[in-house]
Amino acid sequence: MREPKTYARNYEIPEEELTYSGSVSCPGCGATLSMRYALKALGSNTIVVIPACCWSIIAGPFPYSSLTVPIFHTAFETAGAVSSGISAALDVLGKKDTTVLAWAGDGGTFDIGLQALSGAVERNEDFIYVCYDNEAYMNTGIQRSSATPWMAWTTTTPVRHPKEEPKKDIVAIMAAHRIPYAATATVAYPDDMIAKFRKAKSIRGAKFIHILSPCPPGWKSEASDSIKLTRLAVQSKVFPLYEIEHGEKVTINVWPKDGGVPVSEYLRLQGRFRHLSEDAIAAIQAEVDRNWERLLKKAEMSMP
Amino acid sequence: MKKETEAKVVTFTSEAEMPMMPASVASTLYNKTGSWRYMRPLYANQTPPCNAACPAGEDIVMYLQLTAQGRYAEAWQTIVRENPFPGVCGRVCPHPCESECNREHLGGAIAIHCQERFLADYAAAHELDLPAVDAPPREERVAVVGAGPAGLSCAYHLRRMGYQVTVFEAKEQPGGMMRLIPEYRLPRKVLEREIGAIVALGVEMKTGVRLGVDLSWEDLQDYAAVFLAVGQSISRELGVPGEDAAGVLHGIEFLAQVKRGQKVGLGQKVAVIGGGNTAMDAARTARRLGAEVTILYRRSRAEMPAIDEEVNETLDEGVKIEFLCAPVAVLTENGRVRGLRLTRMELGAPDASGRRRPVPVAGSEYELEFDTVIPALGQVADLSFLRAEVQTERGRIITDERTATACPPVFAGGDAVTAFGTVTAAVGSGKRAALAIDCFLRGIERPFPDLAHNVQAAPRRRDPTVVRFENLNTAYFEEEPRPQERQLPAAERVTSFAEVNQGYGEEVALNEARRCFSCGTCNECDNCLIFCPDVAVLRGDSDDEPFVFNYDYCKGCGICVSECPRHAIVFEEEVKFTKT
Repeated sequence: MREPKTYARNYEIPEEELTYSGSVSCPGCGATLSMRYALKALGSNTIVVIPACCWSIIAGPFPYSSLTVPIFHTAFETAGAVSSGISAALDVLGKKDTTVLAWAGDGGTFDIGLQALSGAVERNEDFIYVCYDNEAYMNTGIQRSSATPWMAWTTTTPVRHPKEEPKKDIVAIMAAHRIPYAATATVAYPDDMIAKFRKAKSIRGAKFIHILSPCPPGWKSEASDSIKLTRLAVQSKVFPLYEIEHGEKVTINVWPKDGGVPVSEYLRLQGRFRHLSEDAIAAIQAEVDRNWERLLKKAEMSMP
Repeated sequence: MKKETEAKVVTFTSEAEMPMMPASVASTLYNKTGSWRYMRPLYANQTPPCNAACPAGEDIVMYLQLTAQGRYAEAWQTIVRENPFPGVCGRVCPHPCESECNREHLGGAIAIHCQERFLADYAAAHELDLPAVDAPPREERVAVVGAGPAGLSCAYHLRRMGYQVTVFEAKEQPGGMMRLIPEYRLPRKVLEREIGAIVALGVEMKTGVRLGVDLSWEDLQDYAAVFLAVGQSISRELGVPGEDAAGVLHGIEFLAQVKRGQKVGLGQKVAVIGGGNTAMDAARTARRLGAEVTILYRRSRAEMPAIDEEVNETLDEGVKIEFLCAPVAVLTENGRVRGLRLTRMELGAPDASGRRRPVPVAGSEYELEFDTVIPALGQVADLSFLRAEVQTERGRIITDERTATACPPVFAGGDAVTAFGTVTAAVGSGKRAALAIDCFLRGIERPFPDLAHNVQAAPRRRDPTVVRFENLNTAYFEEEPRPQERQLPAAERVTSFAEVNQGYGEEVALNEARRCFSCGTCNECDNCLIFCPDVAVLRGDSDDEPFVFNYDYCKGCGICVSECPRHAIVFEEEVKFTKT
């Protein structure tokens, strides 16, 4: 094997591949790429728990799997409970170095699985819970969830009646449980995501990682724009990258370059926001700015 | 589960063969998702704008990549594959490559000429030799007439192709116009080294042999092909009364005398007439000899053909430039220059060159006192030796795009054909002629429509589309400033012929090479590999193919295409199957 050049690299990413080609995810799927990064960070000594979500399908039809590590498929509302059980079983077996990774969509986290998740993290069970958030029930045909942003189009919130409720702040809910580690991550920042998975693996107790995961069919965006979109989400402060330790210590990990970009740059690449009026975009900008200010204050308060 | 590398399709023929629980027994590799694709990513190696703009077709991005890795010797070898004069061109080329550089939009164009010079100086300091001729020897002998940059470049490339080459030079030393470039811009040892290296490859050099005087056309019959690169050696006349007076000294003769170390009878007040590089060279040389120098130019600063940096350096050294004036007479006293009668000019309608034509302002004549006048109005070719079969037009030899003249075994190039007046253009012209002569001698028909892509003696696989700034993904680039070359202070410069521009050192060269966007050319940043959701980008096993697409599984999402910072990947439609 030839020695690759390294001087121009933008990221240092582990070489080992623990996901297979041939999965049935849509072209440009952010959830598939997120899993690839997560397993690169966590390594092969990992057990994945998947409730009903896109990944139930992406993981492969029986008898095939798109991962090299074991997967436990489970019911929609049970990721928190099943992961607790597997974690306890590993404890009994003395296998303390195996990572349990719950891998759920926004439906299974924000809505249907919230009770089991809340119970598990309240007990501070030892596992990493990932919500790969594509902001609707994409697998069943793009129905709105409580993760869908305000004014977005879905099949159940058509253009004439777009979603009237704001997106639920799931990281705040998790932080309110005072868990050791909660963080946001996204596919345009692979080094940041991998660092967060490594950090989560090093901590005993409940860890929560919220991944913004672009969905070209559901967001009505170009498959080739998936990375660009999430980069714009971070740069426009729609989805800031930060972490919260023990519910209190807030650290912003990626700062928008040169003060960031307007939200319109992020919104205009997505068909689900095409109907937005100038007023609606201004309202979203105001909300994003307010949230960013609040995050900045929390981060400032966390400074020693 | 052990990681699978082969696609395996599982077929259960009875319930008994199935696992007790619904557990997977194979990987999704069975599922060739490549069949979904209707667009295909492709590593294209598109053309960087610097490469397209280089008159000698240098593979700039490639040598910057090698420099960025600290592989300086290989970087230098990459240049000399195209141009045997990196030390000369790094110093005197007007670098059209930098004018096209996409980095201009984010901190300033890459200082390509300084990089070229750095590598040439590195090669000189480490006494690196030109790569030895490895082509099988060829029987045919080729004569090159003129040992300027075009002739030497042609001789060099033909020699590398295995031909027996003899260069005939009228002057006592090879180098042509390069030899007249003043010491403070091009130290003699730089030129000597690069010419010496060409001769060392086995090019026969016969100096002091002038075609038509010491050498007849019949003597050239012994050669299978002839390349005429005679340049332009006759100074243009002022065409005003009094120009034969003592104290009128033509630019190139003046420069040649100074370079030879001859005593030049230069007065205190010197006028240089013209706005080209020879005028600048003459003015700055006269300044160094202690004179008070004024350049007289008939148009304005914007129309000056001299390199802009060169004009600035000239002004810095205390040379005055008077624009929009032209001499109408050389004023004499006892056969010696005592001054010039000038007329004011104004700019009229654009002429054939696109520049506004200067026209005299009636009644605006005035006189200035000078004791020396140096006209530097450009040169014309001496074509008196030519035979009628080789056609000429307005003082230039006519050739086709393959550099062939109307008289088949005779090819021509350099300033006698193009009158571009730069070393790099002459080098490119010589290389093109070498390739054309090679094709002619082998009986191969080959068109040469575009200098940048077809003059390559050793081309790498490349798409001719030029990458522009808007094709790049600038999320991966920061604004970074262009470094400044070290330069002697102006006050110190005018006291000697020491080299003005000092280049820069290794650390700056390394950083500057890394600042290059590497437009259209993969430098293994790994983005395509990292951002592929489907693990369909694999590492390749050669420098030509650092990555390969696994088209069995690539779904054609195009993320790699849009996240490639340098547009080295293109997106193409898959072949459509149509009913016949």
